[in-house]
Parts: sequence; structure tokens; C-alpha cells
Amino acid sequence: MRIRDQFRFVKQNMKKNKMRVFMTVLATAMGCAFLIVIASVPFGLHQTFVKDLLQQDTINEINVQGIETDEGYQPITEKDIKNLRQFKNVKAVTFKSYIEQPTTFSIDNYKLETGAMAVDFNAERNAGISLEDGTFPSKENEVLVGYHFATQLFPTDTDKEEELYNEKGKLKEAYQYQKEIIGQTFQMTVTRMNKDGEEETKEIPITIAGIMEEPARDWMMDTEVRISESLLHDIEQYTGTPNGQITIPNENIENEKHYANITVYSYSLEQVQTLTEKLEDNNYLVYSVASSLNQLNMIFTIAKAGLIFIGTIAILIASIGIYNTMTMAVTERAPDIGIMKAIGANPKVIKRIFLLESSYIGLLGAVIGTIIAYMISLFVNFVIPIIIQSAFQEELPEGFKFSAIPATLVIIAIAICLIVTIISGSRPAKKATRIDILKAMRREI
Amino acid sequence: MIQIKDLSHHFELGKKGSKTSIPVLHNISLTIDKKEIVAIVGKSGSGKSTLLNLIGGFMRPSKGDIWIDETNVTKLNEAGFADFRLNHIGFIFQNFQLIPSMTAYQNVELPLILKGIDERKRTEITKKTLKRVGLLDYHEHYPSELSGGQQQRVSIARALVLNPPIILADEPTGSLDSETEADLLGFIQQLNQELGITFLIITHDDEVASIGNRVIEIRDGWLMEGSVSL
Repeated sequence: MRIRDQFRFVKQNMKKNKMRVFMTVLATAMGCAFLIVIASVPFGLHQTFVKDLLQQDTINEINVQGIETDEGYQPITEKDIKNLRQFKNVKAVTFKSYIEQPTTFSIDNYKLETGAMAVDFNAERNAGISLEDGTFPSKENEVLVGYHFATQLFPTDTDKEEELYNEKGKLKEAYQYQKEIIGQTFQMTVTRMNKDGEEETKEIPITIAGIMEEPARDWMMDTEVRISESLLHDIEQYTGTPNGQITIPNENIENEKHYANITVYSYSLEQVQTLTEKLEDNNYLVYSVASSLNQLNMIFTIAKAGLIFIGTIAILIASIGIYNTMTMAVTERAPDIGIMKAIGANPKVIKRIFLLESSYIGLLGAVIGTIIAYMISLFVNFVIPIIIQSAFQEELPEGFKFSAIPATLVIIAIAICLIVTIISGSRPAKKATRIDILKAMRREI
Repeated sequence: MIQIKDLSHHFELGKKGSKTSIPVLHNISLTIDKKEIVAIVGKSGSGKSTLLNLIGGFMRPSKGDIWIDETNVTKLNEAGFADFRLNHIGFIFQNFQLIPSMTAYQNVELPLILKGIDERKRTEITKKTLKRVGLLDYHEHYPSELSGGQQQRVSIARALVLNPPIILADEPTGSLDSETEADLLGFIQQLNQELGITFLIITHDDEVASIGNRVIEIRDGWLMEGSVSL
């Protein structure tokens, strides 16, 4: 018997009891929709978290926090940085060496007290860090400033400081520095303590060569100034202390100097894991987004598997309906089956027709269930943020997804649905093949 | 063509442990040649229908063999016998046994579908067969919309459609009036002469038995010696 004819038979049979078939398809669709919707939550949250992590643009970065030695945890030194640059697949090693005193930058009647740090501009460029505007510094006194530096410069020629800021605590636009800051020379005020314990200050002229890109997160504010290592060296010479600390001058500046925010850049995401492992083998204390991504993936995979299992229970319940429908169908059609067998229908063909029928119900239910699930998912993603925002006054991040239905979830749900329906239809199908021809023809079944 | 050797059959009644064996057929040996019309007669409960059911493979004999066209059909499994039936045997039943939800056309087409014949060829053969039984104009009618004689003709068309060498008929005129019966018997004789189909007809009606080249009587499960030609 040809497959096409078998399908035709199935369609004809299903038409004989439309209402019963409809209810069974509905039950299967509900089971399938439940599975997809419930499993779409970890899929949605996973997508959101991964997107959030990847948005940080730090996916091929490895942060090195220190090194473990026999004497315990040690901060990273210049020697370590040189060593880190020797590792295979290392594209660049950047660091920040903070000036450990409040530094003030002023121009005309504007000033800003903010953090300053020395960085290796070449390494930053190699690492692929891009600028919002301007160029990387090429001279000793040239610097890079954070994206919000200009907007935070506040006027010094006003007495009413409270008027400068709006209700959000931001400097009002009217009071902001209006001129282009690239190419402008600012005065950097550095403080030191002399041998008598008195504080003295010195102004160092610096020129802004470029502006850093806007931070990845909306809530981040970057006003920090990146200076060259040689300028830091000049400051250290002036203060006589490592990192420009305002303490009694120290003779062993170089020995005590330490670096912060050491970041190792690999060439690609694939190299991060192996490079992280190598650095750990060499006793470095490291953290990378890629490794936390792996942990995140693992947690969500477990959550997905668990919820798919729970969803499968709904389909199993629906399968009872399919079993019932198919058993009824076999009983009702027993005389017809008897006649077909009498004229030469192979039991395998009869079994296949019933299995096709239960699979068809399962597939139809799965397709309808998937459509319903997509609609529920869209609704949930639209409504949940509104509820959270109005009930908890919390603003969810942009692109937040409470529920997501990727193709894999749909394939898994349809496969589960089909398997369960085929299994539930197999017993009635087997029963159909065992129908006694004579009893069936005498309408004794 | 059909060779029955030492065929015996008994029914087992009752539950396990207390089963009673009721013998129905005893050592039946019979040969039916090609193109023959053989009528098997006997009283109700004599075992004649059981013999036909055994030949048709609807039940398994307790003992003995049935050979049809060089095939020992008693050795075939259920699926094997189903295929054999489809290709070698046509059936005509007393109650016609048409599928009520199918039209006359669909009922006749069914064996062709089971055999996997393509739709175009199926249409051609089905129409030709319906024409042969004089029911082409009724092809869209459901069995309930046809008279007894017409239903039996649909049933014959279904039995004929795959051109089987043998047709087994169980009381083919049992549900028909005498006029339709005579009509049908004439048609069976015509098919036998024109197509060379072997007919094995189970009947208790002398009129039906009269078209047989041979009439074999079964009495209480025994094949009576010296079965007579009428």
C-alpha cells in the first residue's frame, strides 16, 4: 500500500469522528504549549544573561587579579606584566596604575576632581580599545579622558552650587563646559607631602588627545583620566612615593609599585578557555567572562532539562487522550478492519495506518501547541516588564526576555510530542492487527 | 489448483484447564481443479463454512495441509497469508461485507490500493470492473443506497478486481431474492467460462449447487464419498 494512500485513509478515518479527534488534538496542543512555555523561561533568561555578558564587550578578556606565591597572594608587578605578555595567544596586556591621590583637572573657570591612572597606550591600542573621538596619545603629556569627563567639568565662578545640578544629580547642560576638549591643555594638580609633613601642590599641563568610548552600561559614568607611564613616573618623582601617594617620601618606589586592572586579551573567544587554564596553572588569579559564561550555560542547561521534563508530563497526560481516542477508533472500525484483512490487507499496513493516525494527531497538536506557545511567549514578554515596572518600580534592562522559544526548543517539543503519541498509539494499533477476521465480520467485536 | 490433504479441525471451548474440544472437520481430502465450479453443500453446522474459512486462511487447521497453486498455505504466517489472499483469492460473502463508509467505487478499489497500484491504473481497472458487473452508474453510491443484488455485485467486483484465479463464495445468494439469485448465478457461470476463474461455493441451496461442475457434501464434518455431479 502506497504511503499516499495510507495518508488518505488516515484523513478519511479522522473525518469520521471530527469532534473526538479535535478534542484529542486540543489536549495534545495544550500539553505541547505548556512544555514550550514552561521551558521558554530558562531559554529567555539565559538569552538575556548571555546577551548582557556579551554586551560588556569583554568576552575575549581575562582579568588577572594577582598571583599566588609561597608567601601568599601578591599583587601584579611589572615583571609579571612582562611575563604575561610572553604567553601564547596573548594579543595584549593592559593595566591601570592608579594615582593614589585625588587629582584635579582645571581649565579656564572649570574644574573636575577625578581619578587618574597610568596606562600603556600601545597595549590599549593593540587590545582593540576604540575611542569615541580623537587619537591615542603620542606625547608624554597627552592624555585620554573618560566619555563623561567634559560633562562633569563644573564652573568654579558660582556661589550657588545647588543650582548647578538637576534633580537626578547631573550637572545642568547650561553650566557644562561648552568648548571642544580635544587639543585643550588642562592643568593637573598633584599634591605631595614634604619631609616636614606639609602638603605642597604642583600643576602639570596636560593635553587631551582623545575621549574614551561610552561605557557599555547606561548607569556607568567614566570621567577618569588616562595618563602615560612616563607622566606617572614624573609624578612619583615629585611625590617621592609609589603611585603618587601623599605620604612621607620613600626611596624604594619601584619595588613597591603595583598595578591594578590587569587585563589579558586573547585573539579570539575560543582561545580564552585554554589561556585561562594556562594562567591558572602558573598561579595567576584570573577571571574571565567566558568562564562565567560556561558556568551560566551549565546552570541554564540543567534548568532547561528540568523544565522540559516537567513539560513532558503534560504531554504524557495528553497521551492518555490519544490512547483513548485510538482505542475507540480501533473498536469502532473493527468490522472494517476485518473486511480489509479478509481481502488481503497486511497486518503491518493496518498497524501503520493507526500509527500514522496517532502521529498525525500528535503532529497537529504539536504545531498548534507551538503557535499557541509563541503567542503566550509574546504576550508574556510584553506584559511581564509592564507588571514589574508598575508593581516594583524596577526598570528592566532593554531587550529583557522573560520567555524565548528558539528553534531547538520547538524541535525538542515536537519530537517529544511525536514520540509520546506514537507510543500511546502503538498499543491500539497492535490491537487492530490482532482483530479476528471472522468475529469482526460477524460484528462480534 | 486446490489440494486439501487430511484436514481436520476442532474448536476449543471453555476456559483454560477445563477446555472442551469439539471436532468440526474430520480427515477431509479433496482436490479442486482449475476452472472448476465446486459446490459444497451440507446442513447448517455440518462444517462447510469452516472448510471455506480454513481454505481462506481465516483460521488455522488443527491438522492437515491445504495446497493452493503449489503453496502450502497452512505454513504461511498471518502476514504471508494476507499477501497470498490478496494475490490469489477473491471472496464473496453472504452479507456482502462491504465497508459502509466507502462508495461502491471505493470498495472495489480497495484491493488495488492494498496492492499498491498507482491511482491512474486503479481508476481504469475499477471502472472496467464496475462496468463488467453493470454498476458503473452506481459507483458513487454507498452500500446503504444499493439493493441486495447490487451490493452483491459490488462484492463480486471487489473479488474480481485483482483478477484472482480462485473465488471463494460463502452462501453468495443467501441474502438475495430468487430473481436476483438466478441473475447472479448466471453471472458466476459467465465469469467461470470467460475468465477461467475457479469457484468454490458454499451453499445449502440446491439451486446454487446446480451450477457446480461438482457437488460435494459435508455431513457432520465428514466428506461424503461419491459426491455427485448434478
